[in-house]
Amino acid sequence: MSLLEALLVGLAEARRHLGQTLLSLLGLILGTGSIVTVLALFGGQSKVTQDYIAEVGGFGTVIVRDRDQSQQPTARELASRRLTYRDAKYLKERATTLSAVAPGYYGDFDFRAGGTHFRGPVVGTTPDYAIINDITPLVGRYLSELDVQRKSRVTVLGWSYADSLFGTPEAALGQLVSLDGRSFTVVGVLEREYFSFAVWSGNELEYRNQRAYIPVTTAFNQFTGNDDRLSFLTLKATAPTGARGAQAQVTALLRFRHGVEDFDITPSGAGGNQDADFFKLFNFIFLVVGVVSLIAGGVVIANILLASVVERVREFGTRMALGATGLQIFAQVLAQVIVIAVIGGTLGLTLGWALTGTVAYFMKMPAAVTPLLAGVAIGTSLAVGFVAGLYPAFRAARLSPVEALRYA
Amino acid sequence: MALIEAQELTKVYQLGRVDVRALRGVDVSVERGEYVAITGPSGSGKSTLMHILGCLDSPTSGGYRLDGEDVANLRGRALAQVRNRKVGFVFQTFNLMPRMTVEENVALPLQYRGGYSRRARLRRARTLLERFGLGDRIGHRPDELSGGERQRVAVARALIGEPAILLVDEPTGNLDSEAGAEVLRAFREAHAAGNTIVMVTHEPDVAAEAHRGIHMADGQVAA
Repeated sequence: MSLLEALLVGLAEARRHLGQTLLSLLGLILGTGSIVTVLALFGGQSKVTQDYIAEVGGFGTVIVRDRDQSQQPTARELASRRLTYRDAKYLKERATTLSAVAPGYYGDFDFRAGGTHFRGPVVGTTPDYAIINDITPLVGRYLSELDVQRKSRVTVLGWSYADSLFGTPEAALGQLVSLDGRSFTVVGVLEREYFSFAVWSGNELEYRNQRAYIPVTTAFNQFTGNDDRLSFLTLKATAPTGARGAQAQVTALLRFRHGVEDFDITPSGAGGNQDADFFKLFNFIFLVVGVVSLIAGGVVIANILLASVVERVREFGTRMALGATGLQIFAQVLAQVIVIAVIGGTLGLTLGWALTGTVAYFMKMPAAVTPLLAGVAIGTSLAVGFVAGLYPAFRAARLSPVEALRYA
Repeated sequence: MALIEAQELTKVYQLGRVDVRALRGVDVSVERGEYVAITGPSGSGKSTLMHILGCLDSPTSGGYRLDGEDVANLRGRALAQVRNRKVGFVFQTFNLMPRMTVEENVALPLQYRGGYSRRARLRRARTLLERFGLGDRIGHRPDELSGGERQRVAVARALIGEPAILLVDEPTGNLDSEAGAEVLRAFREAHAAGNTIVMVTHEPDVAAEAHRGIHMADGQVAA
């Protein structure tokens, strides 16, 4: 009896015992469905995290910051001028692994325009900042090289600030805004940036809508008394090098200039998703439900198969009298459960697919049932069915023909 | 050499703590082409003898050669294969698979033998069923047939593998006299075609069909 034949017999048996088959199927369908859903949502979640990292600068981006000084600084540490605008210019000239270098001066300023007044962040930087952070003006333009050279008193507003100061982005263009008492001309307003991990989490990028950009040179000229120390330095590695290679070169160059390693370099996007813990819990619950359903399904299958073996003892006796070996009887019972498992796995996959779609739709999360996932689902269902079928199949195969035939 | 040669067969069952000696040294010899009836009251050991002759069970001691092959010490898989190739069973209760068609039932022994495609098995089953006058029943389920027809299907199933011996257990026990006569005629035809038949029965008129009787009593062959 070939394997195909055993499977055909199994299919016929599954159809002949429709009630039992349906009950066994239910457990497998629920279990497989839950597991598919969890894995699909989980996969979607890692995808969304990657998207977020790409949104805030991508994997080729690194950020350099001053390292906190130690308790008793050494002479070399004290001698270092820390991170400066000159460092940025030096890196831009010398570093072969970088495609963009954006210095960052960060301050908390008084914003005033018309009757509106509030405190908020201002970033002093260069045009490279827009390249690195994928920033596009909605109206007007971003900072230019000329602005930096001339130390112009111009500013580019985040969408929310333009909105609250002037009503609309269009209305803001060309207006004056006072930053800590010095007036700046609004030359551009940025697109509203939005990124959400899920429907319950807000706009992860709202902080970018609530700030103003000015030329870094203007910041030093107007606010620091020409002290050119930076709050941060954002760098973009060239595509073939990647963040790791760039990190090595930047470390070497900066250590040479500072005489000591008094800075930290971190890849952008590290530690990005605050909702990760929530998702872990969510996934865990679904996974537990899936595993429990599968185990329950397996127990139900084992029970039903055992009952059906007892019910069919005489049938097995007859088959043995006709020349069936124990192995053939074993294969027959197992084939039946395998047929059930394949059907259950497939239907469970369909259920999981539908469930994933529903959850993804209502929670606005990306999630996808991939071919790999489909394979995992059917494989799991098969494994459960197989394990559940082993004992009943073994019982049937071990029957003595004489006693089986005598069984009433 | 005889088709069935059994010497000094004994069979001891353990029933709880009691040893039941179902066979106490039985010698049986059946020639090729014979039609033999084994008779005796219930408990005489005739069913046990049939199980051993049919390779469903092994004797506790004694020798048994079936069709020239020593089968007394075979177990499990080897014994199953001997059953499949050399023995055709007909049971009192027919023992057809209720959810299979008549032709699938008849073809079943060939499925276990292997080497036959499904198409070849069913073709052979249909040929045989036509010979038994059941050609118009091949697609039916067993419960759509009369008792006599069912037992004739069972006879066809027993013969499809061209066994060395047909072992028959109370073939008319569940049939009315007309259906019983129908079935007995089927055996006569099978015998006329050259088959060797060993039949267990306690009905004298059924036993009278056979050409020789072996009477059992208390686990031994009575004189």
